[in-house]
Amino acid sequence: MRFVARRLAFFLVTLWAAVTTNFLIPRLMPGNPAIAMMARYRGRINPAALHSLEIAFGVDNHQSLVSAYFSYLGNILRGRFGTSLTFFPDAVSHEVLQALPWTLALVGVTTILAFVLGTLIGLLGAWRRGGFLDSMLPPIFVITSAFPYFWLALISIWLFAIKLHWLPANGGYSIQTNEAWTWAFISDALRHSIMPALTILITSIGGWILTMRNNTISVLSEDYVRMARAKGLSPWRIMWTYAGRNAILPNLTGFAMSLGFVVSGAILVEFVFNYPGVGWMFLQAVENQDYALMQALFLMIIIAVLTAILVADAATALLDPRTRDQQ
Amino acid sequence: MRRFQISLLLALVVLVAVVAGTGGGANAASGSSVTISNESGTTWTCGFNPYNGSVLGLSFGTVYEELVYVNALQSAKATPWLASAYKWSNGNKTLTFTIRKGVRWSDGTPFTAADVVFSFDLLKKHPALDLNADWSVLKSVAQKGSQVVFNFKTSAVPYFYYIAGQTPIVPKHIWASVGNPVTYNDPHPIGTGPYTMSKCSPQVITYQKNASYWQKGLPKIDTVYYPSFTSNDPANQELADDTAQWGSQFIPNIKGYYLSKSPDHHIWFPPVANVSIFINLTNPQLALPVRQAMAYAIDRSRVSQIGEYGYEPPANQTGIVTPTYKSWLPASLKGQYAYNPAKAKAILTKAGYKMSGGVFKSPSGKSLSFSIINIGGYSDWVASVQVIQQELKAVGIEITPQNLSGTTYDADLYAGKFQLAYGAETGGPAPYYELRQLLFSKNSAPIGQTASSNWERFSSKQVDSWINAYGATTSAATQHSLVTKLAGVMTSQVPAIPVTEEVDWYQYSTKSITGWPTPSNPFAQPAAYSTPDIGVTLLHLRPKG
Repeated sequence: MRFVARRLAFFLVTLWAAVTTNFLIPRLMPGNPAIAMMARYRGRINPAALHSLEIAFGVDNHQSLVSAYFSYLGNILRGRFGTSLTFFPDAVSHEVLQALPWTLALVGVTTILAFVLGTLIGLLGAWRRGGFLDSMLPPIFVITSAFPYFWLALISIWLFAIKLHWLPANGGYSIQTNEAWTWAFISDALRHSIMPALTILITSIGGWILTMRNNTISVLSEDYVRMARAKGLSPWRIMWTYAGRNAILPNLTGFAMSLGFVVSGAILVEFVFNYPGVGWMFLQAVENQDYALMQALFLMIIIAVLTAILVADAATALLDPRTRDQQ
Repeated sequence: MRRFQISLLLALVVLVAVVAGTGGGANAASGSSVTISNESGTTWTCGFNPYNGSVLGLSFGTVYEELVYVNALQSAKATPWLASAYKWSNGNKTLTFTIRKGVRWSDGTPFTAADVVFSFDLLKKHPALDLNADWSVLKSVAQKGSQVVFNFKTSAVPYFYYIAGQTPIVPKHIWASVGNPVTYNDPHPIGTGPYTMSKCSPQVITYQKNASYWQKGLPKIDTVYYPSFTSNDPANQELADDTAQWGSQFIPNIKGYYLSKSPDHHIWFPPVANVSIFINLTNPQLALPVRQAMAYAIDRSRVSQIGEYGYEPPANQTGIVTPTYKSWLPASLKGQYAYNPAKAKAILTKAGYKMSGGVFKSPSGKSLSFSIINIGGYSDWVASVQVIQQELKAVGIEITPQNLSGTTYDADLYAGKFQLAYGAETGGPAPYYELRQLLFSKNSAPIGQTASSNWERFSSKQVDSWINAYGATTSAATQHSLVTKLAGVMTSQVPAIPVTEEVDWYQYSTKSITGWPTPSNPFAQPAAYSTPDIGVTLLHLRPKG
């Protein structure tokens, strides 16, 4: 019980600190959103529009920092994030909810896949050290992990979309299809997600393989594994419940954190593939000094990461009795 | 064990192949369609408020229309649109529009003069919507039967372009019940235009033709797709493989990447405004001889070739964009300030400047060394300034580029916190508009305050009176002689140095569609982001065969 309470208290303090930083940092940036919007139009709208934009955005009504802070806290508690300036006059929550499913589906699924596949390959590789699998996959994926993401993405667009015409080059779905829960739409969206998903997978799987393999190798030399072998347990059971269960522990927190960061999207992926997710929205929010959007996105990431860590702590406690005993 | 591993991988490969295979049947819509590829840098909000600067390009011209179409490429040639006729009176202080009969909103309600009065009243009540500052010159707008009478505070002939040509008209019966028009999203716009918005997602807007459009038999294209592109590369790719037919952005190496892909691919980049070096005239170091020397020292065609791949043509010192407005260019000023580095040095020497260590020093002993602000994200402008830097160095003037973010750049430019700035005005449908933006003292402001377009802070009572005189006349001869005087100020005072000419980016494919604007038939500004020209272009397009 004390363990859980301590973790929860830590969670709340971190959350408050993060929320406060989240409030302060955007306000330390120079310029104002009306000028940012003018800049985005590269002279395509009349300079006289600057004045009308400043009125529309409420740039000229100044509020003191302290009172802004408290109204900010109040609004967060009520789930109000205000109006986005980038997508003016749309509400921030509406814009984020539109982009979030795309990111969750693409980055979420690939993150889990990368972890599961990487862990499996790492475990199997370490179990049969020097075997076919161990001498092929880990080196290959370690090399691919070092590829710059955008380079790999551009190469695969060039190869699969432009030269071979196998897969679409950009977007989340074809512009002629209707956005609805039909098989035509879902298969079209899946087809559009293959290239972004595979490029993320290829560049992120190597890390999991390497750490899992190293963990397993060190666990395999432990006395309890030798003991299990001596008892004559089946290799299958030793691999999963003795070696695997212990070797995965250090990776859990890392996995939880990367799950938390899923909601921040993948800026480069979404940029290169013109994918309608949160990562690109993030970039826009920063470029356009869209405080409201920025704060909502940061808050979402903070909460997701902190929650994921909390869950990972609980999972570690479940899997590893030693952590419980020490409390 | 090994069999298991291999079969796992195999299963994955098969899954990928199956998914890849099934999606192939995305069926194209029936009927003719055109797809626009314009890097918007943002996904769509599915808001269509035509008075919202960030989305007006998605509804103005296609869904909403203007009173009179003014073509910037044909020296402000006016085509009656929602107004069937117009007339200036009362010393050019009163403008009367006769409203076209037989026009209906896309929901079937008839369009009337009351809608026009309502739209302008809306802008008066909510200055946040008045993007062109119409009410800075308007006194009143009133209905008189099927006519609408505009009264101006002063003679305001050039404002015809903004009021008749750049202000969209919205339906009173819908907008009257809108609580706050400033934050109104207008998700289902009802307009008089050739298209209605039929479907919108953050990724693509689909427009269907308005079957009861008032120009009978038009438009000929059934569907318009307007996908959002957050970066240039995918947008360019869709143009190259003919997925999109109408492009409006910069394509590097356009010959190899686009033109060579098909004989049906064409480009045209009509210049509309200048890219100039704005000179902060409040800085005593930037005296007239220095400005003149800089104007002589810059090889504009070299900047155009190296910095702009030759897409944006070299400008001239008068500020009159050619060939678009060549009929306005006075013969006496043609070819002034042609590239001549020796002359640049001679001017400085004659004015008492002395060369020391490769850099000129002013008579008071200060080196001619300046910073120039620029937008770091515009790679073409950054390259151009590098060329200018070399050329000025050759005549003993040092400049140091400061490549800023767009926001910081604008903030510094507006507030006058710069020595030199590389940038562009918006221009207008005739050379007068850009010269007015550059030279009118009302567009200026003290250093530290926001100037709307006269960023170099030029101020002259004589020039102001010429600018006002132009506003009071509809006589083409008088207007030409006044523009000649203003161009003369550009060459004698050198408040800014036009270097290259900004163009409308425009690529088009004649594979399945014809009727595009071309240099020999410039019936509209051809970029898809030009409003309301996008509607005019769509009305000219037709399926091939």
